[in-house]
Amino acid sequence: MGRFLGSRLLFYIAAFMVAVTFNFVLPRMMPGDPFEIMFAAAQGKIQPEQMAVLKEQFGFVAGPWHVQYWDYIKGIFSGDLGPSLTYYPTPVTEIISGALPWTVFLAGTSTLICLFIGILLGIFSAYNRGGKFDSIVAPALAFIGAFPQMVSAMLILFGLGVILNWFPVGYGYNPDVDAGWTLEFFMSVAYHAALPLLTMIICGIGGWLFLMRNSMINTLGEDYITMGKAKGLSTRRVMINYAARNAALPVVTAVAMALSFVVAGALIIELIYNYPGLGNEMLGAVASRDYPLLQGLLLIIVVCVLTANFIADLAYFWLDPRLRK
Amino acid sequence: MTELANQQAETLLDIRGLSVEYLVGDARLRAVDKVSFTVNKGETVGLAGESGCGKSTLAFALAKLHKPPALIAEGEVLYKGRDVLSFDDEELRRFRWKETSVVFQSAMNCLNPVISVNAQICDVLSAHHPEMNRGELQDRARELLKVVGIHPDRLDQYPHQFSGGMRQRAVLAISLALKPQLIIMDEPTTALDVVVEREIMDQLSELKKQFGFSILLISHDLSLMGEITDRIAVMYAGKLVEIAPSEEVLFNPQHPYTKGLVNSFPHLLGEKKELTGISGNPLNLYSPPAGCYFEERCPERIERCKSTDPALITLNPQHKAKCHLLG
Amino acid sequence: MKNLLSFFKGNTPATVGTIIVLVFVLLSVLAPWITPYDANKRVARGHQPPSAEYIMGTTRSGKDVLSQVIYAGRISLLVGFGAGLIATIIAVLVGITSAYAGGRVDAFLMFVTNVFLVMPGLPMIIVLAAFLGQVGPLSIALILGLFGWAGGARVLRAQALSIREKEFVTAAEVIGESKWRIVIVEMLPNMVSLIVGTFAGAALGAVMGQAALEFIGLGDPTVISWGTMLQWAQHNSALIVGAWWEAIVPGIAIALFAGGLTLFNMGMDQVSNPQLKGSKNLKRWKVLNDELEAQRKAKQAANKGKSHDGVMPV
Repeated sequence: MGRFLGSRLLFYIAAFMVAVTFNFVLPRMMPGDPFEIMFAAAQGKIQPEQMAVLKEQFGFVAGPWHVQYWDYIKGIFSGDLGPSLTYYPTPVTEIISGALPWTVFLAGTSTLICLFIGILLGIFSAYNRGGKFDSIVAPALAFIGAFPQMVSAMLILFGLGVILNWFPVGYGYNPDVDAGWTLEFFMSVAYHAALPLLTMIICGIGGWLFLMRNSMINTLGEDYITMGKAKGLSTRRVMINYAARNAALPVVTAVAMALSFVVAGALIIELIYNYPGLGNEMLGAVASRDYPLLQGLLLIIVVCVLTANFIADLAYFWLDPRLRK
Repeated sequence: MTELANQQAETLLDIRGLSVEYLVGDARLRAVDKVSFTVNKGETVGLAGESGCGKSTLAFALAKLHKPPALIAEGEVLYKGRDVLSFDDEELRRFRWKETSVVFQSAMNCLNPVISVNAQICDVLSAHHPEMNRGELQDRARELLKVVGIHPDRLDQYPHQFSGGMRQRAVLAISLALKPQLIIMDEPTTALDVVVEREIMDQLSELKKQFGFSILLISHDLSLMGEITDRIAVMYAGKLVEIAPSEEVLFNPQHPYTKGLVNSFPHLLGEKKELTGISGNPLNLYSPPAGCYFEERCPERIERCKSTDPALITLNPQHKAKCHLLG
Repeated sequence: MKNLLSFFKGNTPATVGTIIVLVFVLLSVLAPWITPYDANKRVARGHQPPSAEYIMGTTRSGKDVLSQVIYAGRISLLVGFGAGLIATIIAVLVGITSAYAGGRVDAFLMFVTNVFLVMPGLPMIIVLAAFLGQVGPLSIALILGLFGWAGGARVLRAQALSIREKEFVTAAEVIGESKWRIVIVEMLPNMVSLIVGTFAGAALGAVMGQAALEFIGLGDPTVISWGTMLQWAQHNSALIVGAWWEAIVPGIAIALFAGGLTLFNMGMDQVSNPQLKGSKNLKRWKVLNDELEAQRKAKQAANKGKSHDGVMPV
């Protein structure tokens, strides 16, 4: 595996620590007592003795900053993110584990579909460069992809959900159906995911298409492509094994960078479709100033994004033999 | 492979009036202008000229490998009597590498960086011999590496794990894979240091003896060419200006440009002479002159050179040159 | 001026993008003179559909949507360009310092840049804004600027590194010009197209980010911007109750403006990577190449059985 993946892993750990530090510093940067700020909304809901426990848990102990910081980190790594204030005393981790699968499903599925279709269309567009698809359809998709997700989501919701009434405009599945490993439940989930997924795909495809197209055009100028042609290989083989294999490398790098946008998009889209993921919980937490939940959500999103980045690194490592020794 | 001698006169490749143009803005620049010459079976022909004279463009056009904005404007490339330029896609695919393979200028960039050397040998084998099975492909690939002096154990490595010289050898091995009758070599050793260049050229002579293919060797290095070519063609600004047996070109050049080219390289043996070279800059193809293209830089120009372009004059059946002074 | 014209010539994305962006700027500047009603006042009954009187209908609280969307452009554009400017300044400073200082400074700055790149920006901004309470346009511009520079810094660093290797910079170094002078006089002018691209990209991100923040309810709801208009529309369930114009109009405004910036950016890409350009030339090449192929085919057919005479009909 080697040094490449090792150094990436170290970087992600460092990045995670930056996020933890961000969480730690934020309430302390605000004017006033950080604890008061964090738990202002919970006054009255929580008994004074419970407050004292919370205070310790979030590192608001007497003492210098580095002691507080150390306490805070210990808390995080023991896997305890404390209780939510709105749903007191439900632990933040429980709320998150209920919402996380929906967001991972939404972001993961849409990214994979977008990548697959976008790369194929990008290859097609570059191969037929200057053709109708390349000069009309591809830029149109990029233009649509530039729309903010909330706008596309509203337009699609209005068109397909409200006017045509083809798809449901809220919730992850029909509440009359029992959640479980049944076909009925599965169909209900797919049916409810249709519009959010469609929105994310429509928003994402243009970007990947153009990235792949431009990367392909740069790659097609390389000598090894000409050599592949000179070897009398079929056009398909030259396009896939020679051009696309190489052109996909910058696209994989870009996946890592795009993940934070994908997550941002998923959060917004969940709000509009009232989809039961992290975004919806985040909105609720913002509205009720449930800071422990908000901070827990942020950490879990950071962990997800970093993990996905590491998966992208593994893919790159697998695709580019130059990184292996 | 000893029937070479009696095939000497048999024409393998016959290039007739080949012109290649580049589409730049609204202009069509002639990079190759009505070039004709032949390559016989088992013969090594050199194509010389300074960079930008159209020699690489010509090489690519021979296997129809030209890319936009290059256009093959006119001419024919007859391979065993059939015009390669009018082949359809499938004919062309089968012709490429099986009949004519190409060794590219930079081995650094002409190997696919993400697939193994093994895969790059096997894909060309199975593209032309779909009947070969995995074991046969492997055996042939190992054999090919051995032929060019690379240990077969390195078969599964990737191009970046090879040194520059080894990469060029690997390219050579791939070019031999289907035992083609003609190998086009575009500056095959330019990127290598002199020692490695020496090794590769020696190996090439060895392989040529063994397999009996023809070579079209494109280079700016006349002294390198002199060692292995039978005949040399010289191009200037897209036109063929002289073609003759190698000794004739090196020791009795007729065209002023060829003379300049020969004089800009030192002879290893032979008397010490001052290297004169050629003054002035290569021609601007945007506004080609009415007369001889070399007129502006020619030390021996006469009045006629400015107004009329000279024809290619046959000095003897083997030697042609394009100059008014000879007419 | 001549440079500017040649930039737009044959660069359709850049031309269309620039026109779209300029139209928005013009509308925002002229807002007080071209809006039919006071954007802040109730002028009709709520949720009036588009009509001759209220071209784009009214909101639930009876305000004119057209007047609102034009005024909102002022805030949205200001925040977008302001955040874009902040992000670009940071990106230029970090990118060039990193490239020019090298060593540990470079390693540290690139670590920070990569952390900013990999971090999910919007969730962090949401948490930050939630701690700040409701944030006005100025704070939003500042936050978005501070979070939006990393991508640009990386690209600019790469460009600065390659320019540093160029002869004219080496020459200036040998002469003994000061580092500052070299950066400002020799390097910056050669990075203009990338810097402009960085600015457009950051502004695009900021317009979207602002809309997202306000949509979630973290903005100041008394300020009229495209984001708050969308938030009110969502709050009023405008789409569900059939008052589509309240949501669609500001939505289309953001979409068009974002699309314009994206096209402009695509155009800038073509400038720094000319390989992507020239589809017009390519079309001409295809036509000519097909013609020549057809001629060869025709000649081949005519010559069947006959011997070659080596002359091409052209």
